[in-house]
Amino acid sequence: MELKKDMILLNQDVTTRDQAIRLAGQLLVDGGCVDEGYIDSMIARNEDVSTYMGNFIAIPHGTDEGKKHIKKTGISVVQIPMGVDFSNDDDANEQLVTVVFGIAGLNNEHLQLLSQIALFCSDVSNVAKLADAQSADEIIDLLQEVGK
Amino acid sequence: MQADTSSKPKKKSSLKAKVQKFGTALSSMVMPNIAAIIAWGLVTAIFMEGGWAPNATIAKLTSPMLHYLIPILIGYTGGRMVYDERGALIGAIGTLGVIVGDLNIPEFLGAMIMGPLSAWCLKKFDQAFQSKVKSGFEMIYNNFSSGILGLILAILGMLIVTPVVEWGSGLMSSAVDAIMKVHLLPLTAIIIEPAKVLFLNNAIGNGILVPLGIEQAAKVGKSVLFLLEANPGPGLGILLAFCFFGKGDAKGSAPGAAIIHFFGGIHEIYFPYILMKPILIVAAILGGMSGTFTFQLFNAGLKAAASPGSIIAVLAMTAKDSYLGIIAGVLVSAAVSFLVASFILKRDKSTDSGDLAAKQKQMEQMKAESKGKEMPSTDEVRTSINSYANVNKIIFACDAGMGSSAMGASLLRDKVKKAGIDNISVTNTAVSRLKDEAGLLVVTQEELAERALEKTPSAVHVSVDNFLSSPKYDEIVANLKALSQVTDTPASEIGESKKVAASGDQLAKIDFSSIKEVNFIRHDQHQGSATMATSIFQDKMAKAGKKTPVKAVRINELDDENDHLVIATKAAGKNLAVRYSNIQIVVVKDILQDKLLDELVKKLN
Repeated sequence: MELKKDMILLNQDVTTRDQAIRLAGQLLVDGGCVDEGYIDSMIARNEDVSTYMGNFIAIPHGTDEGKKHIKKTGISVVQIPMGVDFSNDDDANEQLVTVVFGIAGLNNEHLQLLSQIALFCSDVSNVAKLADAQSADEIIDLLQEVGK
Repeated sequence: MQADTSSKPKKKSSLKAKVQKFGTALSSMVMPNIAAIIAWGLVTAIFMEGGWAPNATIAKLTSPMLHYLIPILIGYTGGRMVYDERGALIGAIGTLGVIVGDLNIPEFLGAMIMGPLSAWCLKKFDQAFQSKVKSGFEMIYNNFSSGILGLILAILGMLIVTPVVEWGSGLMSSAVDAIMKVHLLPLTAIIIEPAKVLFLNNAIGNGILVPLGIEQAAKVGKSVLFLLEANPGPGLGILLAFCFFGKGDAKGSAPGAAIIHFFGGIHEIYFPYILMKPILIVAAILGGMSGTFTFQLFNAGLKAAASPGSIIAVLAMTAKDSYLGIIAGVLVSAAVSFLVASFILKRDKSTDSGDLAAKQKQMEQMKAESKGKEMPSTDEVRTSINSYANVNKIIFACDAGMGSSAMGASLLRDKVKKAGIDNISVTNTAVSRLKDEAGLLVVTQEELAERALEKTPSAVHVSVDNFLSSPKYDEIVANLKALSQVTDTPASEIGESKKVAASGDQLAKIDFSSIKEVNFIRHDQHQGSATMATSIFQDKMAKAGKKTPVKAVRINELDDENDHLVIATKAAGKNLAVRYSNIQIVVVKDILQDKLLDELVKKLN
């Protein structure tokens, strides 16, 4: 699967992680990947076990149960230049996130793209490029480099 | 924690232990699928000809359920025990081969062979090839390897496993036949009960006892042979014993099972209880023997085959003069097997009976043993190479197996491959699907570490708080590498490859004593990276115990005072120099991970 331009939202300003997750989830809804119920499942999953991955990225996705809301595989991207804190109240450290990847995975179709994202984002300066990107195309290009 | 598999005392694998392990394995293939067996049994009892409400249309369900659904489910479950979802799928494919091999007998036993065997084959295949798959081709590899191998296994199952199973049940039947010929009918229980537990009941019942019984009944109007396999007494006794003296799950589910068995005639439901504790077969045999003996004593018999073997069907088929004998025989066999089984269960204090509660207890013990070796905090994991000695498989576990673990697995697979280690597979799964096995290294998020440990007490455990750039990955790779004795290269290259900007003199010019605030600049296209740089620097400062605040600001928001230290890239530095004259500026190549940043932290307050 490939990342689509209309699944990318740039330059968002949010104050809570739930807002960030809802943005990523709404992209998935608008893209016809999931129904509304999935967003709540994403929030629930993040409360259960954080989807903060380190290196300023988070990959909110639904719970096992939430899989029933998925219509097709999709990945959305929300860029939050000012950052949003993904930590829980009892976490000692701030978990700042600048790029959120919303994920709806069916039949492991998303794994290839996810693995590209992982390889790319394991270098924090690459995440900085994503966080600074000025257009959706730039983000798509950046992530595609990895496959090559 | 690092549970060192090699340091645990190896259990003596006595014959008893082996039989126990075998039985437990068989039972755990059947137990999760009991519902399907019940569904089949109820359809049989209610809608089959001679049932409570015969209905030919609905009764069409029985054969496909018995011949296809249940064996495939068993094969699926058996495959999953060996190799997770991939194993489950290929187990089901392989099982279909055995089924088609002989459509006349329900291939439960064949499924129990084919499911795990297929999964094992795929596992070996993956161990050989999975690490060679190029990133991006995982899905193609996964689907086609399972598909092609599954097809081959299904054919082999049809041609090889089916005849083996047939031969086995043929052997059983002829043994029963031989015993009957010498008129020692009660002794047939020695063969029949174990054969039943291995799900060969239909083969023996319909294959030999029923035909002979019909012959006898035609001559004298009744036959005791119909009862040898259909007598629900022995199974009832065992299930009742579980009701009173069983443990945990087995105890809780036994009463329902007893009702379904005795009134529904679905004998299959008690087989897993015996498999869980194979010694209980003694109870079944003695129960069957005493029952048959009682039937003979009263010269009791059935008019025709009682199918299914419920007390209702048995009584419906009882010859007019035999009610007393039949009821007595069933009760005697139930009583005998109950007493023997109770004795066994009561005496049995061992914890490895495979039931849930015992497992949990075992787990608690293991946990108690490992106390003091608390889950390591992120940075202080003391990984002994020794504990890696057996590792041949790394599994990333997360909550749903959808995202985080897949990412982590991709990264580590990449690192492992780059390090030239090719005999270790890296996969991902949900924590709930983890299972304990030797040679396993489990990587989880810290929140899930506890659950992962419960699931896999004998694995090496590593927990990370950052799936993307955890130093643990390099640690793991380094440890694995040390073992495979590949020439060593520095484990961690990240950060170290970045050369220190030759600018010690840059720092010398800074007046650190006057600095009250450190700033990163948001300018032009650098919004997100400034946020990130600020956070990273704050983190470094906090770790070093430094108090100077760190803020990200817009380029036009600064006060032009020398108490600001601005960290910027070369381009931004020039821009700043034009606008401001008093602020202090440090130019770095990379605002996120420059060596100079660490130097700065040291000098700041």
